[in-house]
Amino acid sequence: MIDETYMVLKRAREFPKDSWTLKRALDDGAYDNLKKAVTEISQADLIELVKNAGLRGKGGAGFPTGMKWSFVPKDVFPKYVVINHDEGEPGTFKDREIAERDPHQMIEGIAIAAYAVGANKAFIYCRGEFALGSRRMDRAIKEAYEKGFLGKGIFGSKFDLDIVLHRGAGAYICGEESALLDSLEGFRGQPRLKPPFPAIKGLYGQPTVVNNTETVSTLPHIVANGVDWFKGFGTEKSPGTKVFSVSGHVERPGNYEVAYGTTLDQLLDLAGGMKDGKTLKAIIPGGASAPLLTHADYALDFDSLKEAGTMLGSGAVVYMDETTCMVRNALVTTEFFAHESCGKCTPCREGTSWAVKVLRRVESGEGRQEDMDLLLDIANGMDGRSFCPLGDAASWALRSNVKLFREEFEAHVREGRCTFDGEHKELVGARSGIDTGISQQGDEGLGGEDRLS
Amino acid sequence: MSVLTDEMRSVAEQIVAKYPNRRSAALPLLFLVQSVEGHVTDSGMRDVADILGLTPAEVLATGSFYTMLKKKPQGEYLISVCRNISCTHLGAHKVFDAAREKLGIEPGGTTPDGRFSLEAAECLATCDGAPSMQINYEDFYKVTPSEVVEIIDSLAAGKDVKSVAGETVRPAKDIAFETATAGLDLPHETADTRERLVGGESPPSDMAPGHRPVVPGIDAPPAEGGGS
Repeated sequence: MIDETYMVLKRAREFPKDSWTLKRALDDGAYDNLKKAVTEISQADLIELVKNAGLRGKGGAGFPTGMKWSFVPKDVFPKYVVINHDEGEPGTFKDREIAERDPHQMIEGIAIAAYAVGANKAFIYCRGEFALGSRRMDRAIKEAYEKGFLGKGIFGSKFDLDIVLHRGAGAYICGEESALLDSLEGFRGQPRLKPPFPAIKGLYGQPTVVNNTETVSTLPHIVANGVDWFKGFGTEKSPGTKVFSVSGHVERPGNYEVAYGTTLDQLLDLAGGMKDGKTLKAIIPGGASAPLLTHADYALDFDSLKEAGTMLGSGAVVYMDETTCMVRNALVTTEFFAHESCGKCTPCREGTSWAVKVLRRVESGEGRQEDMDLLLDIANGMDGRSFCPLGDAASWALRSNVKLFREEFEAHVREGRCTFDGEHKELVGARSGIDTGISQQGDEGLGGEDRLS
Repeated sequence: MSVLTDEMRSVAEQIVAKYPNRRSAALPLLFLVQSVEGHVTDSGMRDVADILGLTPAEVLATGSFYTMLKKKPQGEYLISVCRNISCTHLGAHKVFDAAREKLGIEPGGTTPDGRFSLEAAECLATCDGAPSMQINYEDFYKVTPSEVVEIIDSLAAGKDVKSVAGETVRPAKDIAFETATAGLDLPHETADTRERLVGGESPPSDMAPGHRPVVPGIDAPPAEGGGS
């Protein structure tokens, strides 16, 4: 079995009892690399360093971080750094752990990113449901101010930085960077048309870098150890390590940090193999948005998974065993997208909720033989036709479930029942709002008596 | 009728001061209303509109989008059972049924005594603890049906209930206040220090988002001597 390669999770795993405290973080060298960056490295050199290291964003898209920074215009002020800590991709729980267990590493990374692009204000958009993580970040930010790691003249340099902790209020779509910015501006979290990209016009119309929690938490390690060291891990085009969130039917679900290029088989070994020795049936390799795989013989890096017709995404790996009903899997996934569709674009708004209706019919044994083609048709109608990738993701997940497991869908129709246990219907149908057909984010529960008059 | 007292309004002003733009405080101020009223009420939204210089309709437009901002009265304890992929495949429905049976309410419902609300939640990012749930946003991992019943009994009896991380479950209004005031008490004055690093002039503090037309009186102060 391979070993994990700790970088972002190093402090968390070495000191599980107090990794989030200031004392432990300082004893372990926290903020040394921020000091090194602001006192020894110029802003331009820092951007070059991260560019040369080949660091790619760890929120899902895998865009090169240094390149993203270099798009920010030098002569427009103010600029902002916004941390996307709105983790919500089903199966993903890495950012939550990184912030809960090592908030000081995250703050150090945010400060390094802000220094690089010349921003004096950074926002952490923390998912509303993350109560513990918010508490720990809140405390860590205050401690960092007290120690002079934030505020004015950091480490005697000319660099000032304020970090504002902002809580979301429950909306998956706010993990999409332009929707996140709208939400942070006090609007409904709906995606913007791009271009312009946030690096040019972002928060309040100013140049804005939006980086993921895991991405910024990697920065202190690059500053500390340099390009060659960093490129010593992973593959040529996906250098470094990645925290994979492993869940589903495995013996030891959890976050595992390994070098890019590790295979799905090796990751499964780390997680103790399939639960109760059952047989692997399907894998979601990169969050609910990623098309399924049916065996574990793939390397976990951006290019290998793209070649396999799926994606690395946020690094959420869900292993499913032989007892899994794939119609149910498609239904749960599509209900999620239907609920979280912001309602802005028609193909996504209508496509997801109609697909739910058809999937409900098939799962409850009332489906028709032509429903499988109908589902594929709905998927095609959503793919690539909306502002943001939510509709695309819904179509990819739906399409791969139907295409890879068509026989299972047909059996549901033929036998007029769920061919697995079928006892889950109450929960699957329990999402309030979906039955009405107006399932989109925010449309639920606003009765007449609550309306402003 | 105002729901935010003078004291709460001063907290609201501290929250507003975190941001370069007043409207950015919309979500925390709606949480502040929820911490007083238990949910986001009409009069509370009017207060938020008043504080932020928005119309009540704009506040409703924002507030109605988010699932944590509740539009009808809620219980003291909100039980959110995750229904997403990993949890469903590992038996979330059994947890959900146990809670539903124990409380005698459907998802989205609240017990008549106002103690408990129940909801089916989307992925809570606790898939390693599937099937998982939150109570007032504190996490519970690998929950069994009998544990749900025990936890509800303990809360109903006023006993101390701790999450998987050892955090005590607190009443919904307390948590709404904590959410509203996250990150307060920090210095937030850098507008004048920017030029020390890179130069350049200060932006208007209430500038409109760049991608929208400026609406006088809403996005920015009315232009002087402008319209005719």
